[in-house]
Amino acid sequence: MKRTIQTIIMLAALTASAAAQSGPSAAELLARVDGNEFYSTIVYKGRMIIEYQGKRFVKKMAFWGKGNDDTFVEFVNPEDRGTKYLKKGGRLYVYSPDSEQVMLISGHLLKESMMGSDMSYEDSIENEKLSARYVPTLSGSEPLNGRAAWVLDLAAKAKTESYPRRRLWIDKETGDVLRYELYALSGARLKEYNLIRAETIGERRFPVESEMRDLLRRDSRTVFIMDSLELDAPIDDSVFSMRNLER
Amino acid sequence: MDTERRSRGRLSALTTIAYRNIWRNGRRTALCVVAVAVAVFFNIFMQAWIVGMVDGIEEVVKTYETGHVNVTSVGFEAEKEYYPVQYPVAEDRALQDVVAELESLPGVVAALPRITAYASLFDSTVKHALLWGVDMERELRVNVFNLTDRDDGLLEGRFPGDGNECAVGSEFARKSGLRVGDPLPLKTVSSQFSDKYWNPRIVGIFEFDYRKFDEEVIIVPIARLQRILGLEDRTQQLFVYARDANDSRRLKGLVADVMGPGHVVREWGDSYWVAMMRQMNIVYVVVFAVFQIVASFLIINTVLMVIHERIKEIGMMGALGMTRAEIVAVFFLEAVFLSVFGAAVGTVVGGAASAIGSMFPIDMNAMMGGGMKEFPVSGTLFLSFSPAILAQGFVFGVAVSAACTLIPSLKSAFIEPVEALRR
Repeated sequence: MKRTIQTIIMLAALTASAAAQSGPSAAELLARVDGNEFYSTIVYKGRMIIEYQGKRFVKKMAFWGKGNDDTFVEFVNPEDRGTKYLKKGGRLYVYSPDSEQVMLISGHLLKESMMGSDMSYEDSIENEKLSARYVPTLSGSEPLNGRAAWVLDLAAKAKTESYPRRRLWIDKETGDVLRYELYALSGARLKEYNLIRAETIGERRFPVESEMRDLLRRDSRTVFIMDSLELDAPIDDSVFSMRNLER
Repeated sequence: MDTERRSRGRLSALTTIAYRNIWRNGRRTALCVVAVAVAVFFNIFMQAWIVGMVDGIEEVVKTYETGHVNVTSVGFEAEKEYYPVQYPVAEDRALQDVVAELESLPGVVAALPRITAYASLFDSTVKHALLWGVDMERELRVNVFNLTDRDDGLLEGRFPGDGNECAVGSEFARKSGLRVGDPLPLKTVSSQFSDKYWNPRIVGIFEFDYRKFDEEVIIVPIARLQRILGLEDRTQQLFVYARDANDSRRLKGLVADVMGPGHVVREWGDSYWVAMMRQMNIVYVVVFAVFQIVASFLIINTVLMVIHERIKEIGMMGALGMTRAEIVAVFFLEAVFLSVFGAAVGTVVGGAASAIGSMFPIDMNAMMGGGMKEFPVSGTLFLSFSPAILAQGFVFGVAVSAACTLIPSLKSAFIEPVEALRR
């Protein structure tokens, strides 16, 4: 009896130790990322600092988002004042003060740079859980900028995904996505994201300052900063209306 | 005096003998004449083609790519394949003043601001295009845009005025299924890196017979494009046109003085394509020479055969007192006659072909399956008909063919009369 208890205790200790050494599974890590970064609603005022071709441009915007369906962005810096985007029912519309018209952005245009930044329209308005779109594989762990990080490889579930493969570096301690790389089907690295600053909002960690590089553009980077941020607060549906876009 | 007369008489006699000799075998003579004629025809035709093509490229470069003298900023030059709009010329001066100063230079006809920018198109099978911001009224005073018909190239409607209008190329309209009156929603990126959305209405369709423009370009009023791109009254490039295009080198210096530092000033002759075509001339001369030499092999062969056939005759000529030089001269002159006749026939046929080609252009787009887009040349090619090309082809044909027969002719000089008569 005594021997049996000893064996059970030893087995339990070994299992616990093995579990502690192997760390979380790939799915758990991705769920943690989604838990941090996926929101039900978001409101912020932000800045995009674009550095390209030796020049620096600052774009200021106000952003409202609800789930993955509704997004409204209004640019407020003098050069772009009045340019507004509305994502509604899977469609992206733009209102431009130059044309004084609402136009539908579709197809190849969605993959183009937004406001000359390193982000595409798709990049900037996407808010769907990664776990719903990708199959994760844990590739190991490595230090990144002095932080211990898990390396997670994601393979797209659908062929229509803009980036068929992603690689994420996830902070072991905070769960922040410290860095991610976006790949094409050919394996070519298209974009690179680096976290500059994340904040704890409620019980989650949320990136508020980050850098994106479109590797197909020479000497180009965009720093994205959220100056004021509110997550999961109620937003009136009228914000995401064509009327608001045309106003 | 007597020696000179005697020598002239001897040359005349040798020429007569050589001339009569070529008719001793008419079929062989005809064959030699045809070989030289084909080579000379080829050379003249190809030269007319190349000169026509070079003229076409120069015309396109001067009209669309550089003007006679082109001004850009250093920043633009570093990224010019993207047509960046954030590096205007004369940034710290009023554009009107700069244009006025350039137009006051002696020999300058006009200084035209132009802006080229990429555009992404909405709901179109054609996804991207080039916006070409120009003052069409001023442009048409200086330029003839349709390179074949020598007119403004307008097929339908009109060129855009100052309003919310544009004109598109015929190929562009065909591919995207657009017509006059249709809106053309598009996006471009301003000098401040802002996405600018615009929905001009198509008021005209043009055909410049320059594939790149017919397929990719949307002509818009420069004033409107300046506003949309946030350039105010500034421009991306200045195209300076001179009274005489060959005066461009002198003007380039004067324009550079007006523009000051921070600008890149070049004349049309500096264009990569023009410079490359000029450098290629050496290659063409070598190709023509090789072709002429190959054709001359038939004459060389004929001369060698004739020497072999007439070996007894050569021995007789030597025995009767003709010197080695005179015997060589007979065979050499015979070859020269063949060359002259062949070159003359080739020149006449080549001249006729190039004259026809200069009146009825060749449709290069059809020939190349529309693949001439990246090459700054008109879609139709006019051959160049020029007396200089004909004279050059004739002299070149005679000289190369005759020179090739000199060595085989010398063979006749080393035949011993006694040895020759014994055969």
